[in-house]
Parts: sequence; C-alpha cells; structure tokens
Amino acid sequence: MMPSTLEHKLAKILTKRKKYKAIRYGLYIFIFLLVLGSIQTTIIKDTDWEKIGTFGTVVKALARFFPPDFSLFPHLVKPTIETFMIACLGTFLALVLAIPVSWFAAHNITPYKSITYPIGRAIMTLSRSVHEIVWGLIFVAAVGLGAFPGILAVAMRSIGFISKLTAEAIEDINPGQMEAIRATGANGFQVILYAVIPQILPVFVGNTIFQWDINIRRATIMGLVGAGGLGLTFHRQLVMYNYGGVTTVIIALLLLIAIGEVGSYYIRKAII
Amino acid sequence: MATLEVKDLRIRYNRSGPEILKGLSFNVEQEDFFAIIGPSGAGKSTLIRCINRLVEPNSGDVILNGRNITKVGRRGLRKARRNMGMIFQEFNLVERMSVMDNVLSGRLGYIGNFRSFLRFYPRADIQRALELLDEVGLSDFVDKRADELSGGQRQRVGIARALIQQPQILLVDEPTSSLDPKIAREVMGMIKQMSEEAGVPVLCNIHDVQLALEFSNKVIGLQDGFKKFEGPTKKVDKATLDEIYAMEIL
Amino acid sequence: MTASTLSTPRDSVKTWRRFKYPQSLIKYGIMLIILVFIAISIQYLNIHLERVLTMFGRLGNLFANRYYPPDIPYILDSEYLGYVFETVKMAYLGALFGILLAIPLSWFASFNMTPNKRFLYPVARFLLMVCRAVHEMIWTILLVTILGFGMLPGVIALSLFSLGFTGKLFSEEIEAINQGQVEAIQATGANPLKVFVYAVLPQVRVAWTGISIYTWDAAFRAATVVGFFGAGGMGWYLRRTVQQVESNRVAAILISIVGLVIISEVASAWARNKVSTS
Repeated sequence: MMPSTLEHKLAKILTKRKKYKAIRYGLYIFIFLLVLGSIQTTIIKDTDWEKIGTFGTVVKALARFFPPDFSLFPHLVKPTIETFMIACLGTFLALVLAIPVSWFAAHNITPYKSITYPIGRAIMTLSRSVHEIVWGLIFVAAVGLGAFPGILAVAMRSIGFISKLTAEAIEDINPGQMEAIRATGANGFQVILYAVIPQILPVFVGNTIFQWDINIRRATIMGLVGAGGLGLTFHRQLVMYNYGGVTTVIIALLLLIAIGEVGSYYIRKAII
Repeated sequence: MATLEVKDLRIRYNRSGPEILKGLSFNVEQEDFFAIIGPSGAGKSTLIRCINRLVEPNSGDVILNGRNITKVGRRGLRKARRNMGMIFQEFNLVERMSVMDNVLSGRLGYIGNFRSFLRFYPRADIQRALELLDEVGLSDFVDKRADELSGGQRQRVGIARALIQQPQILLVDEPTSSLDPKIAREVMGMIKQMSEEAGVPVLCNIHDVQLALEFSNKVIGLQDGFKKFEGPTKKVDKATLDEIYAMEIL
Repeated sequence: MTASTLSTPRDSVKTWRRFKYPQSLIKYGIMLIILVFIAISIQYLNIHLERVLTMFGRLGNLFANRYYPPDIPYILDSEYLGYVFETVKMAYLGALFGILLAIPLSWFASFNMTPNKRFLYPVARFLLMVCRAVHEMIWTILLVTILGFGMLPGVIALSLFSLGFTGKLFSEEIEAINQGQVEAIQATGANPLKVFVYAVLPQVRVAWTGISIYTWDAAFRAATVVGFFGAGGMGWYLRRTVQQVESNRVAAILISIVGLVIISEVASAWARNKVSTS
C-alpha cells in the first residue's frame, strides 16, 4: 500500500508545483509586458527622436560640456561657501525643530496622546513627502529670494527624516530608566532630560550628521528655484549656454560633496 | 503611628482581567526591615510599585507619615515620590550618564527645571553624593559612566541614588536577583546598614527566602494577591513557608 | 566608617567639579565654535533676523489668501490625471533600471565579494558615488539639455538616482553577509559569478527586496518634481502654474503630490512589511 500512496502524494505535489509555477511565470510575463508597454509609451513614443538625432549628435551635445571653463573658478568660491552654509544652517534648524516633533511623535512620551501624537506624525509625514524643490518654491513665494528660503526648505525636508528615526529610538528606550527617574519625584521635563535624552543622544547625533551630508546635496539645488548657492550659478551658466561653465560648477559641487562625505565620516567616528 | 500604612489595596491591570492584589493591609514601623516574600506572580512587584504609584491602585489607601498618597494630585505625588527612595531589580541606572550624575538624579525632586537642565546642583547635594559614594565604596568611580560598572557596583550606585533623596522609606524591588549570591549578600547588608544609619524603614520585596529571613525583622507572605502570613521573622518556620509557596510546589 | 568603605582613604574625594580641565574645555570650545560659525553664516548669507519673525505672518498669508481655496477640479482633470499616470510610469521604470544596474555594480563595489579589487572595485565605487553625489534635479537638467524635453531624460535621471541610492545600500548588504556560505560555494570550485549567484544572492535577497521597494518610493517622490525642469510628468504642471502665478492651482497640485506620496509610502511600508515577514 505504502508506495502507491507515496506516489500519489508525489504526483499531487508535482501538479501543485506545476500550477504555482504556471501562475508565477504568468505573473513574470505579465510584468515584463507591462514594463515593455511603458517603455514603448514613455520612451519610444514620447521622445522626439528626430530632435535627438543620431548617436553622433548626442555625443556632440555632450562634447559641448568640455573643456570645463576654468575662468569661472574665482566666481564659484562665494556660492560654494553659501551652499555649505545653507546646508549647515538648515541642518541646525532641522535639528532644533526635530526635538519637539520627535517628542510629540513618540507614543510613549507624547504629552497628550490624542492631540500631540497625530500632530507630530502629520508634521513628520508632510515634511518627508514633499520634495525639497517644492519646499523651496513655497518658501521663496513666502519670504522672497535669497539664502533664507533655501535654509528653510532644507530644514523642512530634514525634520521628517531626523524626527522619524529619533521617535523610533525613543519608542524603544529602556523603560526601567524612565521609571527610576520618575520614582525620585522628578517631573515630566526632568524625566525626558535625564532618562530619555541620554539614551537617544547617539542615534540623534548620528542621524543629524547623516542628514547634514545629504543636506549639502540638497543645498546645491536650492538656487534652481531662486534660493541661493551653487544652483543659482549652475542655472545662470545654463541659461547663458556656457556649457563649459556648467561643467565647472559640477566639479565645484562634487568637491563640496566630497568634503561633506569625508567630514561626516570623521565627525561620526570622533563622536561615536 | 506607623510610618507607612497600607489599607485594603486592590489592583487589576485591565477591567476584565484578574485582580493582582486582593485587598492588602499592613503597617511598616519606623525601625522595620520589612520583607515581602512569595512565589513569582504573587504580586510582590506590583505591590511595591503601588506604594509610589508607578502603578495606579484601583482602590485602597497608602498613608506615608499621615499623608494619603493615593489621594494627592500630580504635584503632590511628585512630592510623595521624593520622600520614597526606590531600588530596582535591574538597577535602572541611566547608563550613559556618569555615576555622579546618576546619584545626583536622586535630588531631581528638590531642584527646578532650569537647574536640572544645566545640571547645576547645590553644593550640599554634591557633598552628600560624594559621602554616599564613599560609603558604598565607589569613590574611585565618581566620573565613570554607569555602563562601565559591574552589576554589584551598579546596585550600589542605585542605593546611593535612593538614599540621597533623604527618603522616609526605602522601597526595594528584588535588589539581588540580577546579582550572584555572594554580591547579593553584600548588597543586602549594605541596604540594611545604611538604612539603619539613616533611620529609614525598608520595604523589600525579595524572592530569596534565605536572604529575607536573614536580614528582615518582619515578613509578609503573599500568595496570588492575598496576604498568607504576616509577623516577625522569628515566627517564620517551615510550615509557614510551605503554605506561602504551596502554589509553586503544586 | 563601614565595612563597605574598602581600601579607599576617606579624604581621597573631598570635592568634585563638573568642569574637568581638558575635556570640558574642549567640549565648550567646540560648542562656542559652532555658535560663532552660525553667527558668521547668518551674517554672510545676509539673513535679516527680523524677517524670521515676519515669516510666519507671510506664510500664513500665503496659505490663507493665495493658496486657499485650492482649485480641486483642476487636478481631477483627465489630462492632469494622465500626467500623474506618466509620473508613476516614469518612477517605476527609473527605479527598475536603477535597481537592475545596481545589482552588478554593487557586487563589483562590495569590498569582500568584488571579482576584481584593482580595477572593477574602484571604478564601480566611483560610479556609484557620482550617481549619488549629483542631485537628481541636476541630472534631470543636464539630460534635458542633452536629450531635449520629454520623459526619456526623466527616466534616465531617475535611473541614475535609483542606481546611486540602491547601489550603496546593496553593497553594504553584501559586505555584511556570512562569509562561511561563500567559502562553502568557493570550495566547490565555483567561479566568482557562480559564487555570487549561489552564495551571495540568497543571503541578500530579502534585504534587497526591501531596499528596492523603498527605492521605488524615493524615486516616486523625485518623479513628482523632475517635470519641473522639463522631464515629463506632473512637475511640468507645477512649473506652468508657478510661473503664471496661479496660486490656487499650485495649491491643488501640491495637495495631489502630498496625497500621492503618502499613498505610495503606505503601500511601500505595507509591501516591505510583507516581504520581511514572509
């Protein structure tokens, strides 16, 4: 009897597998066709191939960017410093503003759960979901051109990222330490000061440095919407059809970002 | 008048759940070292946490030197907690702060927000902290971070933190179960000695019956939220212990 | 005084100061430098602090008088919805190409598994760094100047963005794998490609899937605005309405962006959760 039931089972498993395999491959084919379809509609149909021309013309278009226009270099020092400062001030502002947001958005220490918790979460989500370009547009509209809207835009985008990770860190701190401080008769402020902050400080600082690194990148484009820094120079060179100058700006920008990367690596190493 | 009076204390964590404490009453006198023993799950930890309302009791009274703690508001509760030192099973030191700051955090109930933000403590507090650290034998570790210490050392910092509050009673929650036996005995000795010097009664919840009998003068036996036994330590014999721990043997 | 007073003499600790000579001085020095730097920056960037105070009034005014009420029918228009659909397509094509390219590049750029340490490793690392370092908007503008308007530059820009984004995370995952399994496959005499397929991929598959979903999410956020610089999708509408100061329509578009991003975030969180638990 045994072998036949075994064979029966085996056959069952095999047919089942075949069925799953069929579904799986069907799905793969479907996805593949979907991708092909979108490539067809977005890239092949939508693009003006006439205008792009042949491979040669593309290379020619690329060649316009070389050689870099090094005569622009002296004019790049100020915007580069500006960009760097926008990133630093934006990060600093985000760091300050992220403190109340993460306090509100951590469900174990939020002061009034039914009111402040949703507020904190909403600020967090809004801040992260809107691209920095859009924030830049809003702030330029509100406070005018210059570095100031750039700082605000960079800060706005960072708040969400910093406070999300901080709130998560607050949510899994050791509750025993909070209990101990509370048992000494400390008030809510003192409990946060003595039991919460020491526990999350490394996470908070680490995130801030990480955001600082990213904010340098973000600051480079703030000029595109009129908010100061290298982006403005980039845009100006492009409008003047000075493609060599564009390349120079990009070189400056890469240098600045490399400095940020190296800097954040060493700061992180020194602190943690 | 007893230092601490507990009357008919009852608690359940959620409305439909079982009652954890089922109407407990007892008194702690000025010179007592009061041990609460009983099998795990009897409600020992909950009882200790009810005294300073880290866990809110549903009904009953906790009266410390004439003040009914269960009736006071938030501000009053903080003041009441300030008068009760607490020592924890897992030490609960703030691990990323120095030993000194951990001891000084016991004074938080006495200083304002601004001072606590700047960590600017009165000179007398710092002096007292140094004395206490010296007494628990940690004067060489003042500036070490708490996470660099061993378990026994951490619990000694915990004792100093509780005593710097100048408490009227010490609440001690399983002080030894995270420690090895030899150090557990040392820590118990230290708690007893220092509380006697400070003239503070101790309410200690302890799993280890041997240590309880050795250090306490009064014992309460809890079983499933009921008081099974109350009396001087001398009166505890094999039969009472068997009765208290009956559930565990079953 | 007590038995616990070990060998320490009583007078060893008499006073205690929070201020420790070198450490505290360095700490306060660094804080001072940071504050001075902030002050200098504010000066250098010409920020008038009184503008900070009036800012809230003007922001409020912006939202209350110019953005409100948002022109909701505008974003429900079928033409606009078509552009939204385009944006979604652009985002997933960009993410897909980026992820596909990231698979070999992250393999080359992982220190422990790279098939060639001398040449492929630095080249791959450099490529990933450049992709990441240049902001996606700058990629977009460059590609638009080279290829003209349309979705193609948008898709390429998003691919480069996704490549930089995923490549780094992917190679970090590879660098954290269990080396024992690699050695076991190597011991069978497999070549680097086979080692990658049989020892590395199985270990990083789940993490990579999570990262890929997250990449899609990030690419979508970027896709909503690449059109601002002429690369297709709903960003183009944003530019048009901003330039013509049609504030009510700008507000409506912003609402649609936030709404869509939140939907994609919820979806990606759900998908990631599903992947990590299954």
